[in-house]
Amino acid sequence: MSRINFERFFKTEKQKEFSTDFFMDAEDYEVWNEIDFANLEEVDGERTFEIKAEDIKAYAEGCLDDNPFMTDEEYAKKSPYKGLIAHPLFVTPIIFYCVGKKGRGNWIRTPGARNPGQEIEIYDPFRVGEVIHIRLRPYDRYIKRGKYYLRYKIDMYNQQNIKKATCISTLILPPTREDMRKFLKGQRGLTD
Amino acid sequence: MTKITFDSVQTGQELAPFTKKVNQEIFWKYAVASFDYNPVHNDPEWVKTAQPFKVPYTVAHGMMTMSFMTSVVTNWAYPNMLRIRKITSKFTLPVAPGWTVKCTGVISEKHVISKGKNYVVVDLKAENQEGALLGVGEIEVVFPD
Repeated sequence: MSRINFERFFKTEKQKEFSTDFFMDAEDYEVWNEIDFANLEEVDGERTFEIKAEDIKAYAEGCLDDNPFMTDEEYAKKSPYKGLIAHPLFVTPIIFYCVGKKGRGNWIRTPGARNPGQEIEIYDPFRVGEVIHIRLRPYDRYIKRGKYYLRYKIDMYNQQNIKKATCISTLILPPTREDMRKFLKGQRGLTD
Repeated sequence: MTKITFDSVQTGQELAPFTKKVNQEIFWKYAVASFDYNPVHNDPEWVKTAQPFKVPYTVAHGMMTMSFMTSVVTNWAYPNMLRIRKITSKFTLPVAPGWTVKCTGVISEKHVISKGKNYVVVDLKAENQEGALLGVGEIEVVFPD
């Protein structure tokens, strides 16, 4: 993998400490044909996500949205929301951050993974000061038109255990470890 | 601004579009914002041979396209204190660097339940500058009245 200089785009503390190399720990990633669907126990993510104003603003800027409720602290403070309100797709950085490198669900980092579409339910918008933890478990695994789909259910809670959102996270993956290793070498590890 | 009420919205009503031109630098910035460093979005050298989408160039994060589609609704919902409850999406064509992504939304359903539970469904689509369909989505928006 070529060296991309992501550092010039870092805006938050979490971005500075999060590893940008999805290849490094790939041998620890869950693989489509190895996941034990007999064990559907829900587990915690590797870490929690303490929401700061810089996190909410950075995500809005990253998806090119200048909505002042998401980006302007003074404006949002004077609004009925009484403070910044996150873009609904803020679940994305929360999931990647909390899943981490070694925890269950780390297949979302698989080089070669493809996103077919997603399903998200928001129960309560994310706010500055909340500390989010995730609980996740295998949800479904199927083959359709030669593509291998994996789905996990990911629930997000704040520090008071109030459920904030649920995502059914779905990706199309290389089906075996050998296929994934091909992608690590820059080869196409798929036959569809 | 006139406050939007549940009674005032109608099926067929179009929301203001959300349109952005994207490029590799925007893909990198989104990778940083989302923590999604999948090389299919970020590494032009790797993707020349790896080609997960069978194309030799990087493609936008699906979650960025989904974020763009969602912004159509948040631009309308947030100023009016409406609550976004459920978002679903399906991606139909990978987005290449240099494309313009135009997202549009139409209120397709109006669910008359009770005060505080009434909601609408907004049908969304994302197209490129040539009208090719990039993705579709649905968002449920709950009204306070």
